[in-house]
Amino acid sequence: MQPGKQNEFDVCWEKLREALRDIHTQNAGNLSFEQLYRYSYKIVLSKSGQLLYDRVKEFEETWFAEKVMPPISVLITKNLVSITLDGALGTSVVERRAMGERFLKVVRSSWEHHNMCMNMIADILMYLDRGYGQEHHRPSIYTATIGLFRDNILRGNLGATGSIYQVSNILNATIIDQINMEREGDVIDKALLRSCISMLEGLFETDKERESDRLYLTTFEPYFIQTSHEFYRAECERLLREADARAWLRQTQKRLAEETARCQTTISPLSERSITIVIEEELITKHLEEFLQLEGSGIRAMIDNDRVEDLKILYSLVSRVDDKVPVLRNALSVRVMELGNEIEKNLNNTDFSIVQGASAEESAADGEKTKTKPLNASAQLTAAAIKWVDDVLLLKDKFDRLWVTCFDRKAVIETALTRSFSEFINRFERASEFVSLFIDDNLKRGLKGKTEAEVDIVLDKAITLLKHLNAKDIFESYYQKHLARRLLHGKSESQDIEQEMISRMKRELGNNFTQKFEGMFRDMNTSRETTEQYRDHVRGLGQVDEKQIDLSISVLAGNNWPREIMSRATGSSAEPKVKATYPSQIQRLQDSFFEFYSKNRNGRILTWVGSAGTADIKCYFPKIPSKTSGALSRDRRYEINVSTYGMIVLMLFNDIKEDEWLSFEDIQATTNIPQPDLVNTLTSLSVIKQFRILLKKSQTKSAAKPGDQFTFNREFVSKTIKIKVPSVNAANRVENDEERKETDEKNLETRKHVADSVIVRIMKQRKELSHTQLVNEVIQVLSGRFKPEMSLIKGQIESLISREYIERDELPDGSPTDKYKYMA
Amino acid sequence: MTSDAPELSKYVTLVSADGFEFVVLREAVLISSVIKGMLDPKSQFSEARTGRCNFAEISGVILEKVVEYCQYWYKFKETENVADMDIPVELCLELLQAADFLGLDRKVFPFGATANLSHFKRP
Repeated sequence: MQPGKQNEFDVCWEKLREALRDIHTQNAGNLSFEQLYRYSYKIVLSKSGQLLYDRVKEFEETWFAEKVMPPISVLITKNLVSITLDGALGTSVVERRAMGERFLKVVRSSWEHHNMCMNMIADILMYLDRGYGQEHHRPSIYTATIGLFRDNILRGNLGATGSIYQVSNILNATIIDQINMEREGDVIDKALLRSCISMLEGLFETDKERESDRLYLTTFEPYFIQTSHEFYRAECERLLREADARAWLRQTQKRLAEETARCQTTISPLSERSITIVIEEELITKHLEEFLQLEGSGIRAMIDNDRVEDLKILYSLVSRVDDKVPVLRNALSVRVMELGNEIEKNLNNTDFSIVQGASAEESAADGEKTKTKPLNASAQLTAAAIKWVDDVLLLKDKFDRLWVTCFDRKAVIETALTRSFSEFINRFERASEFVSLFIDDNLKRGLKGKTEAEVDIVLDKAITLLKHLNAKDIFESYYQKHLARRLLHGKSESQDIEQEMISRMKRELGNNFTQKFEGMFRDMNTSRETTEQYRDHVRGLGQVDEKQIDLSISVLAGNNWPREIMSRATGSSAEPKVKATYPSQIQRLQDSFFEFYSKNRNGRILTWVGSAGTADIKCYFPKIPSKTSGALSRDRRYEINVSTYGMIVLMLFNDIKEDEWLSFEDIQATTNIPQPDLVNTLTSLSVIKQFRILLKKSQTKSAAKPGDQFTFNREFVSKTIKIKVPSVNAANRVENDEERKETDEKNLETRKHVADSVIVRIMKQRKELSHTQLVNEVIQVLSGRFKPEMSLIKGQIESLISREYIERDELPDGSPTDKYKYMA
Repeated sequence: MTSDAPELSKYVTLVSADGFEFVVLREAVLISSVIKGMLDPKSQFSEARTGRCNFAEISGVILEKVVEYCQYWYKFKETENVADMDIPVELCLELLQAADFLGLDRKVFPFGATANLSHFKRP
């Protein structure tokens, strides 16, 4: 550089240096921008830009060391260092906050001052960037001088205080300390914090000023996240110790809102995601299960007490963490199962009390010893079924409601709930029977006088439960039994509702399922027509007879009706076929009908089912001569409705003498009625006081049994003319264990047949299948009816192989493969 | 920061080395980054406080042309296909220097090529 030039530089620099000082001391009012700009312009034009650039930096560094750092150092007392960074205790919060604020304020003001000065200086040195910096790829003078704050202040040496920390360490710690104070409920100077944070956002690791190199991101945020983890870990542990899930939910929700707001007002929006993750981890995920397990406030209490608000918050929290909400889902499933088991347990407990309550009532209302237990048993069963269904539906309603109001109709939750409902319903072994009983009861009497909408609700309930049942085949057989009883005994409340029920089942479960039920209806309708035609036929014969017996007949096609009804007439394989002997009048009627019936239907066989029919008998009780007053002194005529067997039995007494007794065995021999039916019949006629048309010699409450003697009760009195003798199920109560076992065996047998037919059908169609494929297909087809056991399928495959429907495929060398072939 | 000038005047005065004064629309001269810096209300320099900018090394003739350019730019800044400004050839060199000094040699505003030196082309 030439001496003249050097001289000119010195002159200009001297002027600029003075100006820099004036700017720093805020005395720039008299300085002329144009003049200062011209100095720097000249320096740059004379190719001394680099020198100027370095001199300015040098000036600033000296300025920092002499004027800025000392006041900051003064405030970094041992105390501040130890409480913010070393975690020492012993200072009051107020003191600590004041100390921190003083420090932050000095940092802020020196930063703001520096920033403003650097803006002004950069303006007058504008030409330096244009004429020198850009050409030589130097950071702009503004960037360079701003960066000096980082190097000289934030990373400045604190030798004076003997601390190993930099100002930035203390700055970060102080900010965190203030934030933690706010988290604890103190009021802090948010604007002050925000200024310090925006300083960190405005400074970069290097003068290259890369976005990811903001000091905020490189130094403050990691520290902030780490300390927040510590803070919330401690908070969560405290909440866990306090063991109140409600408080935990609300605190977590509050914290989330607070931190989000803090990112907007106090620190940087850049950290919003990271800090919410901290809360999600520390406050939600880590101890979620423990909080849910809490007695009295956990998920159980929330569900049991319908704490909708709690559940809503809970859902909103857990769904942040994992969209599939596995923990909540499981907790709900577990609770559903527990409540389901409780229903079952309650049922068992309640059962007893009903028995006691009912019999107590009975004896209070009627001092006479009566034989009511069997009646009670079935009534009880119905009551239990209704209670069970109601409880289950109540439970389901409850969870459905929670699902809508609290869980945002989340699909995975619905699936989990449905699965657990199915599970506990199916674990209850009488579920199928109870669902059918529930429908039975409603169709028999429950729906009387209800509006269409109410009926609809009941049907919906039934279908809802039905959908959950796995063993639909068992339900089917119960429904068949119950439906048969309703139809044959005319107990059904409404034909329309019956049809509606069946068409709903059809919609839900398919045509196959309701085939038999529809067949039963068809039989009943055809029978009505047949009866009409027969009456016309009889009238046509012109045999008008006072004593003509009016016949109403139901012709039942064997397949559609429950075996219990059919087998008693045809005789199951075990017992010999018995045919009751009907009185001659009846036999004539039967023959006449058969003749009429077979005229159009050749080759059909009719079997009379005495246990399923009823008869109206006009009974005449002559007056008792010894009595002069009261009902007994007059002749009495009653119309008594009894079962067909009852009629046969009663007709025997038409011809006996006044004090003649017929023994059980005599009756059995004459009528040939199967013993269990006879027991029922005689019990119904001789034990219950209101219906005691026969007298039993040993006047006990117990059921009639072989050895008993019976005679006609001449002193029978009834308030009503028409009497319906209830059918008593004395010999054959509600299914007992043995019968249940029998039923189960029968079911198993049926299932085997069904499985057989499915396997054969599949193999016939596919010709060749591997074992797994076959099993899968079979399961798929069967699942509409019941859940097949693996062993059942395997067993039936074996059995079909031995019966040569299918064969195991063989390799050329004769060793078997796991394939099956259909044998035509 | 300088609260002594609450309302900025609409016009500023540019003064040439030989004493010519040009009263110009403030907005028009802000096209020069240097003049913009001088008049920045946040700075405390005398220009910003007084609204007068002295240019110790620009003559009246040249400053007049600069001012004309500023006005020309301001008038047509929203228009497309603006005809070039008329520039006497003998002023070219000095105008170039002044433009460099005032930071008029590059696109200060998103204004396209019309804010460029190409304006100083001969007609």
